[in-house]
Amino acid sequence: MFSGPIAGAIEYAGRATNVPRRIGCGLGRIGGLAQGLIVPASLLMAWSVWARLGWLPEQILPPPSEVFGAMRDTIDDGTLLSSTLTSLRRVAEGFFAGAVFGLAFGFVTGASRLAESLFAPLFLTLSQVPTLGWIPILVLFVGIDELLKILVIGWAAFIPVALNTAQGVRDVPRTYLELGRVLSLSRLSTLRSIILPSAVPSIFTGLREGLANSWQTLVAVELIASFEGLGYLMAYGRQLFQLELVLVAMIVVGLIGLSIHLLLSLIESHLQRWNPRGQS
Amino acid sequence: MKLVHLAALVAGLALAAPASAETLIRIGYPGTGLDDRAYGYGDYPAVAHVQKLVEAEFADQPDVKVTWTFFRGAGPALNESLAAGQLDFAAGLGDLPSIVGRSRGLDTKFLASAGTHDALYLAVPPNSTIQNIDDLKGHKVAQFRGTNLQIATDRALEAHKLTEKDIRFVSLDSNAATAALVSGAVEASFGGAEYIDLAKRGVIKIIYSTKNDDPTLGRNAGLFVTGAFEKAHPDYTGKVVHAFVKAARFAADEANRAAVFEIWAKSGLPAESFAADFSDERLAHRVTPVIDAFIVNRYKDQANRAKAYGLLKKDVDVDSWFETKYLQQALVDLKLEHFWPTYDADGKVVTEGDVEHTKAVSN
Repeated sequence: MFSGPIAGAIEYAGRATNVPRRIGCGLGRIGGLAQGLIVPASLLMAWSVWARLGWLPEQILPPPSEVFGAMRDTIDDGTLLSSTLTSLRRVAEGFFAGAVFGLAFGFVTGASRLAESLFAPLFLTLSQVPTLGWIPILVLFVGIDELLKILVIGWAAFIPVALNTAQGVRDVPRTYLELGRVLSLSRLSTLRSIILPSAVPSIFTGLREGLANSWQTLVAVELIASFEGLGYLMAYGRQLFQLELVLVAMIVVGLIGLSIHLLLSLIESHLQRWNPRGQS
Repeated sequence: MKLVHLAALVAGLALAAPASAETLIRIGYPGTGLDDRAYGYGDYPAVAHVQKLVEAEFADQPDVKVTWTFFRGAGPALNESLAAGQLDFAAGLGDLPSIVGRSRGLDTKFLASAGTHDALYLAVPPNSTIQNIDDLKGHKVAQFRGTNLQIATDRALEAHKLTEKDIRFVSLDSNAATAALVSGAVEASFGGAEYIDLAKRGVIKIIYSTKNDDPTLGRNAGLFVTGAFEKAHPDYTGKVVHAFVKAARFAADEANRAAVFEIWAKSGLPAESFAADFSDERLAHRVTPVIDAFIVNRYKDQANRAKAYGLLKKDVDVDSWFETKYLQQALVDLKLEHFWPTYDADGKVVTEGDVEHTKAVSN
C-alpha cells in the first residue's frame, strides 16, 4: 500500500510515539501514581541531604528549601501565575492553529494518494529542520512578537499531528472500508463511522506528541526574546544567577506538561471505549 | 605495528607535556567585539589582552600558560563559567554580575577596579517619538539583563521616577539589541559606546546619556581572582595584577589617547566612537585600577539597590571582598602610587593624580 522512504518515515514516527503512550496509561492508574512518586521523592530527599551536607555548591544547585521559598515569593507577587497564564495562552493558540492545520493536512494526504505525492516530500523535508532552526528566518519576517511564538509553537504541533493523522487515515483496515461499501454508506458516513473512529488512536498519538512539542518549544521560544512567560522567567533567573527561579519555572513546566499528558490520555481512552484493543 | 605507533605517540605526548608542572592562568572577559570578535573595548583589560602584557609577565616561565575567553553572554555567562571552575580571573566584570555572583557564594577576591564612570546611552530609531527616558513608559525596550547595564538602567529609570515594571524589557545581548533596534523589533535600547557610530551614521539617535550626569550613575567593573587560585598561587596573582596595572597605566595616559582608541577599535567599533564616548573626559576618569572610597561606596550602594530592585535575594558583604595588597604592591613597584586621582565616597576629588598632568601628543 505504501512503500518507499516516506511511508518508512511515517511508520517510524508512529512507532516512536507508542512508547510514551504506554507510560502515560500506566501513570493514569492510582496504584501507578503512587509507584510513580517513589523515584521523584527519593531524588528530592537525596537533593535535600546533599544540599544540607554542603556537597552541592549553592551556585550550582540551590537547596530545595530555597526553591520552595522562591516558589512562595513568585506566587505571592503574582509573577508565577501571570507567567504561567501567558505561557498557557501561547501554547493554546499555537497548538490550536497547528492541530487544526495538521488534522486537515493529515486527512487530505492520508486519504488522497495524489495529495500525498504532491505534498509529502516537501513536508517531510521541512519537518526535518529542528523547530528552533526556523526562528532566525521567522524573526526577519514577523519580528519577535506574539506571532513569532504562535508560528513556531504551531509548527511544532503541526508536524506530529499531520504525520499521525495521515497514517491513521491510511491505516484504516480495508475490511472495514469494504464493509462500508457493502452497506452503501455515504462518503460522510464512511468518514464518521469508519475512518474517524479507526484513526483515533493514531490521531491522538499525534495530538499528544504535538502538545508536548508545543509546550517544549514554548519554553525555548520564550527564552529567546520575550518579556513574560515561564521561559522568560527561566532566562531571567539564569541571567541574574537565581537558579531557584529557573527550577521553579522548570517544576511548573513539568507539572503542566504532565497534566496535559494525563488529560489527553483520559480523553483518548474515553473515545476509544468501543475498541477493546484501545483500552489499556 | 599500529599499536607500537600509538604507544610511541602516547609516550611522546607524555614527555612533551609534563602535566604536573604546567599552570594555566584562565582569564575571562565579559563581552566580545562586533560580530563576536574576541576583543574587548573601553577598559584596560582589553589593552592588556592586545598588548599581551599578562603573557609577557610570564615570558620566562614557559610552564605558565595564559588563556583568554570572551563571553558573548557577558557577565552572567562569565559567572556561570566561574561557578563551573573554568576561570581563574575575571577581567572587567561589571558591578551587577559580580555582586550577584558574590551573593550566590562565588568565591572571588576583588583585586582592583577595572573601570568606573562608564557611560550609559539610550538609543532609539531616528524617527522615534521617544524624546527622553520619561517617554519610555509602556514601550518595548532591549536590555542586556544581569550585566552592569541593567542596574545602570534601573538607576537611570529611578532618577526619572520609573521602574522596570513600567517598561516592557526584552532581554537581548548587545549585538542582538543593535540588530533589533535597527530593524524596529524594539523601540529603544540601553547600551554603551556601540551606539555612537550608528548614531553618527543616522541609523539610530541617542537621546540620553549618563555622561555629564550624576557621576554615581556610571557603570563600574572590577578585576577578580577566584579564592582557590589566589590561595594556590599568590605569586602568580601578584604578577597578573602587576601586568594589568601596567595596562591601566598605558591606557590612562593622555599621550596614548589615539593609540588606546586604536587598540579598542580591534573590537570592530571605529576609533571615532571612543573619541566621542570620551569627549571632554580624561581617560583616567574611567580607566583606573584604584580602589578608593568612591569605588567601595559605589559597590555598597549598587548592592543595596540591586536588592531593592529585586535583582538580589541576599545581602552582600562588600567590605570583606577587597584584597588590595597585590594592587598596592604593583602600584609601588611601578611607582604609580600617585598616578591616579582618588575620589571620596560622593565622587569628589580627594587627591589629584599625576596622570591629570599627562598631555595628549596632538589635538
